[in-house]
Amino acid sequence: MTKTYPKASRPSLDNVSVSIEKGEFVFFIGPSGSGKSTIIKMLLHEVSPNKGRVVVNGKDVTTMRSWKRPHFRRSIGCVFQDFRLLPNRTAYENVAFALEVIGKTKAVARRVVPEVLELVGLGGKEHRYPHELSGGEQQRVAVARAFVNRPLILLADEPTGNLDPDTSIEIMRLLDRINRTGTTVVMVTHDSNIVNQMRRRVVEIESGRIVRDQARGVYG
Amino acid sequence: MRMKYVLSEVLVGLWRNVTMTIAMIITMAVSLFMLGGAGLLYQKVGDMKDLYYENVQVSIFLATDVSEQQRTDLDAKLKSDPLVKEVIYVNKDEAYKRFQEMYQDAPDLVNAVKADQLPESFRLTLVNPEQYKSIYDQYKDTEGVDEIVDQSRLLDKVFGVLTGIQTFALVIAVFMAAAALLLVANTIQVAAYSKRREVAVMKLVGASNWFIQAPFVLEAVVAGLIGSVLALVFMALGKYFGGSGSLSALEGLITPVSWGDIFLMFPIMAGVGALFSAVTGWITLRFYLRV
Repeated sequence: MTKTYPKASRPSLDNVSVSIEKGEFVFFIGPSGSGKSTIIKMLLHEVSPNKGRVVVNGKDVTTMRSWKRPHFRRSIGCVFQDFRLLPNRTAYENVAFALEVIGKTKAVARRVVPEVLELVGLGGKEHRYPHELSGGEQQRVAVARAFVNRPLILLADEPTGNLDPDTSIEIMRLLDRINRTGTTVVMVTHDSNIVNQMRRRVVEIESGRIVRDQARGVYG
Repeated sequence: MRMKYVLSEVLVGLWRNVTMTIAMIITMAVSLFMLGGAGLLYQKVGDMKDLYYENVQVSIFLATDVSEQQRTDLDAKLKSDPLVKEVIYVNKDEAYKRFQEMYQDAPDLVNAVKADQLPESFRLTLVNPEQYKSIYDQYKDTEGVDEIVDQSRLLDKVFGVLTGIQTFALVIAVFMAAAALLLVANTIQVAAYSKRREVAVMKLVGASNWFIQAPFVLEAVVAGLIGSVLALVFMALGKYFGGSGSLSALEGLITPVSWGDIFLMFPIMAGVGALFSAVTGWITLRFYLRV
């Protein structure tokens, strides 16, 4: 597929074709502005390609009507570099909010949220506010929120970008554990250390083109 | 739980920006009050037209030197005229009696006028009051006729004034409505901005569009409904005080406004208030939230 943003001199993604199997763990690496984040946005149906198709979970996102997008998003979890937590809600409330706004009852939230907070290693810190948590802990809340609805795919856009190396490793272990439950994980990063340690599939993008696609790769 | 969530969001939203909310409600109330007033006036003018035009008369006043023969000829002519429904002859004594009744508050005037100074007349009820013109043309040159007066001419002037007031109220209603709707748009933008983090998360995790938009739209609808209740209160106060005050002078001319009339305007005001607010809110969100 090809994506050219308006006013851009060259396409952000130029004739890129990539296929990710269910349950895979894939890194997208490359310098800033190489088009990695555009891929995440396309998977989320936030932007559409000018040419080509994007198929997620067997659905053609390219032709999807915008009113179907909310329901489609429920099968995808998202984690970002800046966590995107609600500052006036506790860890528990942040995760429960994600459930309640898609129509789950409070009873469901009471059952599921403590479970997932335990899974991400935040047992006992449910009632802390984001500013009372460390960066790593905040990212764990974000992962819990992304995973609480048991999505088929977890998208992570530079999830360790704001964290120190040790904390980053812990977050990666967490994502690895989530991957082992059968969830596909797609992670955009330029953290070479992590890529090298994980030894998972690596897709390298440069100037909008795929220059490498390696099964058990390292950061070039 | 979702309903409870939405409702509490609405109340919190209205309270967060309470000065703007009050401004929004007041402008909306004035606009709806003017709209309701114009509606009432429209209804009243309709009633009055029915009432007055049914009883409207054309008076043919006879010259003081009219002869017996001329009078009987005219009488026969009028009685056979297909345009005329009813003819009543009023002689000098009866005319004087009517005059006394009409000006009973002004005894000086009554004393100054003698019975034989008042002209005799025929009072006609027309089959169709609008055919005055042809009656006028037909009889104005008949011998013995002094003057032909059509009451509906007078009524047209009164109705002209009332329609003018109605148009004026509607124009004010439209301008106030424009102000109110701009305030609605502004309030919703502020609300959407203050909740941008929540909205971003909701969009991310796949909350449905209506769920994201409902609190904002309902905020506007609730303000519209409160505005219409306030407009109803204005009207009730208007009837309560106006009925005994300056407006009572118009009583007898304008058919009285009943409580029923006022309460019948309420559903219209509430409906218009709620609907316009909702549509404005929704359009604002389309531009501002892009959900």
